[in-house]
Amino acid sequence: MEPLLLVKNVEKAYGKGVNVFNALENISFEIDHGEFVGVMGPSGAGKSTLLNILATIDTPTSGDILIGTDNIAKMDEEKLADFRRDHLGFIFQDYNLLDSLTVRENILLPLAIAKKKPAVIKERVEEIAATFGISNLLDKYPYQISGGQKQRTAASRALISKPKIIFADEPTGALDSKSATDLLESMSSLNEKHEATIMMVTHDAYAASFCRRILFIKDGQLSKEILRGRKTRKEFFQMILDELSQVGGETNDVI
Amino acid sequence: MTLFDLAVKNIRRNMKSYSLYIGSTVFSILIYFTFATLKYSNDISGAAETSKQIQGVMGAAAFVLMIFVAIFILYSNSFFMKKRKKEVALYSLLGVRKRSIGFLMFFENMVIGLLSLIIGVVLGFLLSRALLSILLKLMGLDVVAGFTFSTSALINTVIVFFIIFLVTSLMGYRVIYRFKLIDLFHAEKKGEEVPKARIVTVFLGVLALAAAYVIALQDLMDSEVWRVLGLATPIVIIALTVIGSYLLFHSVLVYVLSALKRNPHWAWKGLHMMTASQLLYRIRGNAKTLTIITVLSATTITSGGAVFGVYYNAEKNVEMYTPYTYMWEGDPQTIDPAIIESEVSFNSKMIRVPLASYEMEYAVIDETTYHTLAKNLKWPEVQKLQESEIFAIDAYYDERWSDKLESVIINDTDYKVAKFFDQALFNVGTLGANAIVVPDQLYEEMDSDEKLLQAVNVIDYKKQIEVSNELAEAAENFSSATADYNSSIESLGALLFVGSFLGLVFLVATGSIIFFKMMTEAEEDKAKYAILHKIGVSNKDMKRTIRGQVGVIFIAPLLLGLIHGGVALTATSNLLMMDFLVPVVIWMVAYTLIYAVYYIATVHNFNKLIRRSYLEG
Repeated sequence: MEPLLLVKNVEKAYGKGVNVFNALENISFEIDHGEFVGVMGPSGAGKSTLLNILATIDTPTSGDILIGTDNIAKMDEEKLADFRRDHLGFIFQDYNLLDSLTVRENILLPLAIAKKKPAVIKERVEEIAATFGISNLLDKYPYQISGGQKQRTAASRALISKPKIIFADEPTGALDSKSATDLLESMSSLNEKHEATIMMVTHDAYAASFCRRILFIKDGQLSKEILRGRKTRKEFFQMILDELSQVGGETNDVI
Repeated sequence: MTLFDLAVKNIRRNMKSYSLYIGSTVFSILIYFTFATLKYSNDISGAAETSKQIQGVMGAAAFVLMIFVAIFILYSNSFFMKKRKKEVALYSLLGVRKRSIGFLMFFENMVIGLLSLIIGVVLGFLLSRALLSILLKLMGLDVVAGFTFSTSALINTVIVFFIIFLVTSLMGYRVIYRFKLIDLFHAEKKGEEVPKARIVTVFLGVLALAAAYVIALQDLMDSEVWRVLGLATPIVIIALTVIGSYLLFHSVLVYVLSALKRNPHWAWKGLHMMTASQLLYRIRGNAKTLTIITVLSATTITSGGAVFGVYYNAEKNVEMYTPYTYMWEGDPQTIDPAIIESEVSFNSKMIRVPLASYEMEYAVIDETTYHTLAKNLKWPEVQKLQESEIFAIDAYYDERWSDKLESVIINDTDYKVAKFFDQALFNVGTLGANAIVVPDQLYEEMDSDEKLLQAVNVIDYKKQIEVSNELAEAAENFSSATADYNSSIESLGALLFVGSFLGLVFLVATGSIIFFKMMTEAEEDKAKYAILHKIGVSNKDMKRTIRGQVGVIFIAPLLLGLIHGGVALTATSNLLMMDFLVPVVIWMVAYTLIYAVYYIATVHNFNKLIRRSYLEG
C-alpha cells in the first residue's frame, strides 16, 4: 500500500551565505495510514520546524513531501490553505481556540469554511463532541472551560473534517497530568477505533508512550526510530526513557 | 549621553513607528497654522467689505479647530503610547528608574512636538497661499494672493501647540507611573462576557431616533412640540439624536448581530460567525467612538451641506427678490446700450389697504405695465383682467404665516383678486414686496401720488458692478441684483470656505480615529488570524472577513451620519424654502468618497499587519 505521508530528503536552512544554519538536514521517512507516530528530540533539534513544514505552515528549502499524491512542498499559498482545510488537522499546545466563539462554533469552523450544509455540520459536531466527552459544553465559551476541556475542543476541531492526518504539537504541554492522560487516551482510541493517522511532536516521554512508533531527531537529522510492537505502554515508556538518556533529551518532566 | 540625546536617538531609530504619530501632529499643526494665517491675512480683510463678519466667522472657526486639534492630538498620542508599552516595560525590566523613563518620554514628546511644529509651519506657509487663492476665488474677489508670512499666526500657533504638547507630554509621564511591570507578563487576556442586548434598550434607541426625526421634520409654525419647548427644541432634537445613536450602537447592532450569529444558515457559512462575533465583542466597547464619529459626520454633512446649499442657491435667491438687474425711482439714466437686454419705464401709485388688524401698503400698477414687466421676466401669459378684478403680488408670501389677499376695496368698489402671484415682479428693494395690478382705467381714476420708475435688465448682470456703482450714485431708491449677488457671494464664499475647511479637517480626523482604532484591533486580532491561517483559511477568505469587519465599523456611523444629516438638511431647506437636493447630494457624495479612501487604506493596512504576523509565525 502507498504510504500516507512520504517525506523525501527534506532540508530547511535559515540565513544566507556563511551564516547558514541547517535546521533540518536530509530528513526522509514514511507514515502509513492509521499510524500514531511520535517525534521526539531535545530542544532545538528541529521538531517544531519539521512539524510546521509537514503542516504546510512553513516551506522546506528542498525536498519533497507527499500526502497521498499531493506534493505539498510544491504548492502555492492559496492551494495550501485549501489543502490544510480539507486534509489536515491540528492540535497545538496553546489550544488556539478563538475566544469570541462558543465551543460549538470553534469546532464547526473548518466545516463552515468548507461551506458544508448546516444540517450536516450540526450532526458532525454532536458526533465528535460525544467522542471527546464535551457534549454538555458546546454552548460555553473557551474562557468558561478548563485547559483539558479546551484541548479536547481543539482536538474535536482538528478531527471534524475527517482529515487524512492529524498533527499535534506538544498537545499535553499546558495540561495537568489527569487532563493530559484523558486527552492522550482519546487520541489513542481514535487511532485504534477510527484509524485516524496522528503525528505528535512531544518532548514528554509519558505522552510519547501512547504512540505506536517514535522518531528521534537530533541536530536536524533523524537519529533513531523505535517501535512499540506488542509491548505494553509501561514497557514502551521505559524504552523511550532509555533512548532519551542516550540522545540527551529532557527527562526531568516525566511522571 | 544625556537623556535628551537618548530621546533624540530613540526617535531617529524608530522613525517608522513614529511616523504615524508625527504625521498626525504635523497635520494638525499644518491645518491650524494655515487657518491662522488666513485669519490674520490682510488680503481678505482689506478686500472684502463684509470683513468684520468674516473675521467673526474665522475667529469662531479657529476656536472650534483648536479644540478639535487638541482632542485629535490627545487621541493619537494615547494610541502611540499604547504601542510603546512594551518598550517601556523593557526599560523597566532592565532596571531603568521610572523617573528616568518618564523624563525620557517627556523629552521625546517635546522633541516630536518641536519637529512637527517646524514641518507643520513650513508646509502650512506653502499651503496657506494656495488656500488663500481658493478662498478669494470663492468670494468672487479679483485679488492676487500675496506671499506674506504672518508673524501673529506663527505666535498664535506656537502658543496653542506648546500647551497641547505640554499636556500630552505630562500625560505620557503619568502613563509611566501607572504602568506595572506585571502587565507585561499578563499577555493572556481574560475572557470577556459576550454582550447581550436588552430588548428595552433596543426599543428605547429606536424610539429616541424616531422621536428626534419626527420633531425635526415638523413644521416650525404649527408644531405642538415647538410651541411647548420653544427654543429648547433644537437641543432636545440633538440630545435625542445623540442618545439614539449611542443606543443604536450599544444595543440595536448587538441585537442584530447576535440574531445573525445564532442563525446557522447565515453564520455557519465561511467566516460569517467569525466576523459577527468579532464585531459583537467590539461594537459595545466602540459604541462611544462610533457615536462621536456619527455626530461629527452628521455635523460636517449638515453644516457643509447647508452652507453649500445656500451658496448654490445664492443666484436664485438674489433673482427671487431682485428680478431686474437695476431698478430705481426717477428719470432714466444713461447706460451703455450694448449691454441692455430690456428697459422699462413705468408709473406706480401707492394705496393703503385695511386688513383684519392692520393696514398694508400696496404698490399699484396698471395692467399694461404688468404685461410689459411680466414679458421681460418671461412669466407665462395670463388672461386679461375682467371688470372688478385685480391681480395681487406678494413676493414674501409663505403659506405658513402669510394671509392671502382676497379682495380690495378701491374707490368704494369691491375688487376680487383674480390671480395671486407669490414671486416678485420687480425689485423688492425699490418698490416693496406687495403690489396689486388694476385695470388701466381704474389706475387712471385712482387718486394718489404717482412716481416714475425705471427697471433695466442687462446682459451678464453679475459682472456689471461698475455700472451698478455709477447708478447707485445717481439714482434714488436704487436696487441692484449685481450688488446683491456680489455681497452675498462674498460672505457666503467665506462661509463656504470655512465650512469646507472645517468639514475636511473633521473628515480627516474621523477617518484617522477609525484608522487608529482598527489598527489597535488588528494588533489584538493578530493571534486570531494566525489560528485561522493554521487551520487552513485562505487569504481570500481572511481578506473578506477583514473587509466585512472594518466595513461595518466604517459604514455604520457614516450611514447614520448621512441619515441624520439628511433629516437636518431637509428641515433646514424647508425652513429657508430653498431646494437643497443637488448641492446636498454633491456634498454627501464627496464626503462619502473621501471616507471610502480611508476605508480602503485601513483594510489594506489591516491585511498587511495580519499577514505579516502569521507569516512570521
